[in-house]
Amino acid sequence: MQQRRELDQVYTNRKLLNGQLDTPKWWAPTVTILGIVVVLGLIVIAVMINKGLGMTGLARPVYWGLFITTFVFWVGISHAGIMISAILRLTQAEWRRPVTRAAELLTVFSLLTALVFPLIHAGRPWRIAYWIMPYDLARGIYPNIRSPLIMDPVAISTYLTGSTLFLYIALLPDLGNLRDRTTGWKNAMYTVLALGWRGNPRQWKMQTVGGILLSALMLPIFVSVHSIVSWDFAVASAVEGWHSTIFAPYFVIGAVHSGVSAVVTMMALMRWLWKWDDFIRPEHFDALARLLIVVSTGWLGFTFLELIFALYGQDAPEIALREMQMFQWPWNGLFILFFLTAYAIPVPMWLFKRVRTNIALMFWTSILVNIGMWLERFLIIVPGLARRTPFVYTWEAYRPSAVEWTIFIWSFAWVTFLMLLFSKFFPLVPLFEQKESQVFTTDVMIGRAKVPAIIREAD
Amino acid sequence: MSTQSILGLFQQPESAADAMDGLKEAGFELGTFDVLTGTPYPEGAFGEYVPQHRLFRFPAFGAIIGFTLSIFLTSVTQLAYPMVTGGKPILSIFAMLIIMYEMTMLAGVIATVIGIVFESRLPNMKPGIYDTRITEGWIGVVVTFDDDSKVADAESVLNKAGALEIKHAK
Amino acid sequence: MASEAVAHESEHHAPPPQVAADVIAQELIATTTGATGRFKAWAWILGILSIAGIVALIVKFIDQGDDSTKWGYVAAMVSFLLSLAGGAPMVAMAPVMAKANWVRPITRIASLFSFAGVATLIMLIPLVAILPPLVTEGARRRTVWFMAPDYSPHFWTTLGLVLLLVTGIMLFYSAALPDFASMRDHSTGWRQRLGKRLARGWVGTDAQWRTLRMRIGMFGTFYFFILVFVNFLISTDFGQSMVPGWRDAIFPMYHTVSGFQAGVAGVVIALYFSRKYMKLEKYVHMDAFWSLGRLLFALTLLWIYFFYSSFIVFWYGRSENDIATLDLLIKGPMMPVFIAAMLLIWFVPWWILIWNKVRRGTGAMVVGSFIILIGLLLDRIRTFVPAWSVPPDQIHEKWLKVIPDAYWPSIFDVLIMVGGISLVALIVMLMTRVIPVLSVWQVQEFNLLSKPIKYIRGHATLVAKPD
Repeated sequence: MQQRRELDQVYTNRKLLNGQLDTPKWWAPTVTILGIVVVLGLIVIAVMINKGLGMTGLARPVYWGLFITTFVFWVGISHAGIMISAILRLTQAEWRRPVTRAAELLTVFSLLTALVFPLIHAGRPWRIAYWIMPYDLARGIYPNIRSPLIMDPVAISTYLTGSTLFLYIALLPDLGNLRDRTTGWKNAMYTVLALGWRGNPRQWKMQTVGGILLSALMLPIFVSVHSIVSWDFAVASAVEGWHSTIFAPYFVIGAVHSGVSAVVTMMALMRWLWKWDDFIRPEHFDALARLLIVVSTGWLGFTFLELIFALYGQDAPEIALREMQMFQWPWNGLFILFFLTAYAIPVPMWLFKRVRTNIALMFWTSILVNIGMWLERFLIIVPGLARRTPFVYTWEAYRPSAVEWTIFIWSFAWVTFLMLLFSKFFPLVPLFEQKESQVFTTDVMIGRAKVPAIIREAD
Repeated sequence: MSTQSILGLFQQPESAADAMDGLKEAGFELGTFDVLTGTPYPEGAFGEYVPQHRLFRFPAFGAIIGFTLSIFLTSVTQLAYPMVTGGKPILSIFAMLIIMYEMTMLAGVIATVIGIVFESRLPNMKPGIYDTRITEGWIGVVVTFDDDSKVADAESVLNKAGALEIKHAK
Repeated sequence: MASEAVAHESEHHAPPPQVAADVIAQELIATTTGATGRFKAWAWILGILSIAGIVALIVKFIDQGDDSTKWGYVAAMVSFLLSLAGGAPMVAMAPVMAKANWVRPITRIASLFSFAGVATLIMLIPLVAILPPLVTEGARRRTVWFMAPDYSPHFWTTLGLVLLLVTGIMLFYSAALPDFASMRDHSTGWRQRLGKRLARGWVGTDAQWRTLRMRIGMFGTFYFFILVFVNFLISTDFGQSMVPGWRDAIFPMYHTVSGFQAGVAGVVIALYFSRKYMKLEKYVHMDAFWSLGRLLFALTLLWIYFFYSSFIVFWYGRSENDIATLDLLIKGPMMPVFIAAMLLIWFVPWWILIWNKVRRGTGAMVVGSFIILIGLLLDRIRTFVPAWSVPPDQIHEKWLKVIPDAYWPSIFDVLIMVGGISLVALIVMLMTRVIPVLSVWQVQEFNLLSKPIKYIRGHATLVAKPD
């Protein structure tokens, strides 16, 4: 049941702009520590680029390991933004309001992070610059557009550009608000960024109509991006466990699962860190958890289909792979852990309203889901390659090196660092959406019952 | 004759709507007065003039440009530097479709964003009379004039509607 | 909340009129009586065509019951009817679970399609008899049943379809209890007696309403899972399994999602005709068509997404079975059917439904829906006819070595197809004589929860959200 709160605009401004107008005490130390981790990670990346990929555990036959897993993971997390922002906007769900900007932000930053991985994964990353402009045409070749590895950057860049622009457009009213609340250099910065926003009906109408139009345009992009990433694997007929037609929707729904869980994690942190109890309420977690139950059950269906049809072909290498995944250590251990964390523990818990409205439990279960979903990508990518280890006379199984783990941790620190940096200058909860909900929601008496209601414009 | 504008500030939406009605009755032309709010209200809530827009043309236009560019990029480059990979034809329409689709959508999105900014009549670095309390819940009714003769009329309408303050700008 | 591009105030549609609850009950119940001459004529025509179809089915079974390669069109019809009659009740279930207000008046017409599942079952019976067991000539074909008994597909598909029919009817009945009570109170004759029996003492207490909502949720969820299950079985056991080397993990979901598309299209068509000929403009607003239009548009785009996902993997793979699968279903003898299906199920509806004006109206929406249904039928023909055309002795190969020729439907196949569709339409039409085509209590609820208001100087709709 939606709980309606009467919150006046002065209060809303003061609370939701507290990150920009006053800096919370924990902000500077946290950003400093994260900054140190980020710099350390960048140093490790630089060393790896200098010394070569031999510093990682990658070798024949496991050419794609932690980096690609983490790449797919971050692309997956990025799907939260459009799911929450676009789909819930189009279906006019009121409970999306506190989350849309943070989710879109997570999209932008996780995509940026995801893009880093294919770059550092190349043996000679500086050659990739030539992919853009000017290409080394003297060698008589041009990027092969038939390769999913070329389609990937095109799709991710499209999604990144679209999300960033969408974020900026939706930020305009709040930039106007910040311009009105600040002085000095901050005022000058926000004045420029707000482009002269005033809040007349034309501008608000463009926000509404434009928001819906952009949502409708971003949705097909959102579906296509992770599908294209999945086709990196699905089109390869030579690797067992990869050549399956279901990869595209399977990856997309898995991405929504992990992305929305990441949004839950983020919302809990936002509520606790900035004390936004009035704006991020248990009913939001309840609604998100219900969405997650549906999405995760759909994801489970797709997982089941993928497994069934892997075995359907009665193909000896494929069956050997699945036996390795289910019965051989360490794959079976990872598999059990993956299933427990991605579905078996969180989802039954979410069936209970007491859990759905308990923010601490939602926080921890959402983290569990993302551990599970990272493992899911790992189990899709690596075993198919690792199965061939005995055949290529490699002595050791794939073991991610310290360099890989450092860069993995760096990616989390980088995203969090960027989010916190953003929060210093721009509000994480869209103020105008909160204020809009005050205007567009009311209580209505039906008999003796006070029922929340929303006001819809006449079509 | 200097262009003047005045801004009446209200705290209640009803009063602002009364002011808008009053201005209409006093004979002010549509388009010379407007309402400023810190939050969107349902369309027509203040009896304001609902503006026409052509936003939907922008994504269509952008998509056409993106589609054309993408056909060019995917086909001309592969024909100029042909390299057979995996036994596939040089011009593989099914693979080209993906890049064509992404570039079409990208161009559509960029064009839409340009459209939103343009149709919002932004950027407007000289936005005119304004008050920072509008983003604190106050509602502003702004009236622009070509000459000074109607300023007093407008002021009296705003005062009658219950304006808490009236600001002037030259 | 948001308005689309509205050029002028005069283009705003007037909010729906408020109608008193007893007037709603009387007017909607009155729709069950007074069938016009046109209605009766159509009922007769559809009845004759349905009987002709069933007779043709029996004759075909007697004549060609030992040759499974001639049953492709019947398999395609079973799949099509499952999609249409099975998918439509999802409109009664899914938006309700999402607490959408617009769907309240139209849930009844969507759930009436579950009765039309009888048509699917009738078509399935001979097909189950003809479907080869998993082991033929000593070898087991590729199947999702792995080591299960040989007749597992036969058993489980039949059971699944029966369960789907039963659950669909239970979903209908759970939601219809208050309307049977209304009929008990307002109807006359046999309808009044039927209402009294089926209302089972409904008086509208709090506890009864709570139980009703719980049942709708429960049966709705079951229905969804059983529908997915049956789609999975029909698409694999009656489709993929018949073709050696066709391994397509997305095909069951493709089948299911295009089934939802057909279901929504069917609901649009039924809604259009009911609204027009039973004069229900007061109760079925543009809101419903607008939302159904958006849903249909999204599902149309999903079709091409699922299709392309499977196609691109085969196209890149280029192994013998990938190439053979593409030849069989797309590039080979079925290419004209494939192109027609793709145009009608995706390309044309996309360009019809993309326009706001279309989705706000009824005429073009219905045309789009008909086009989608024709396209879906062609798509099912494209997949099931070649699958069943594969000679049984090839079924144990690693991949399809010889692509079977396409063949036109025989006169029996045509009669069966026409009969099947007629039977679905007839069942839905006849059910509107038994119970009001719009759910009385949900229209009353819609009126209670949704009111036009004046907001300061503008017009808006106030929508209460009790849950």
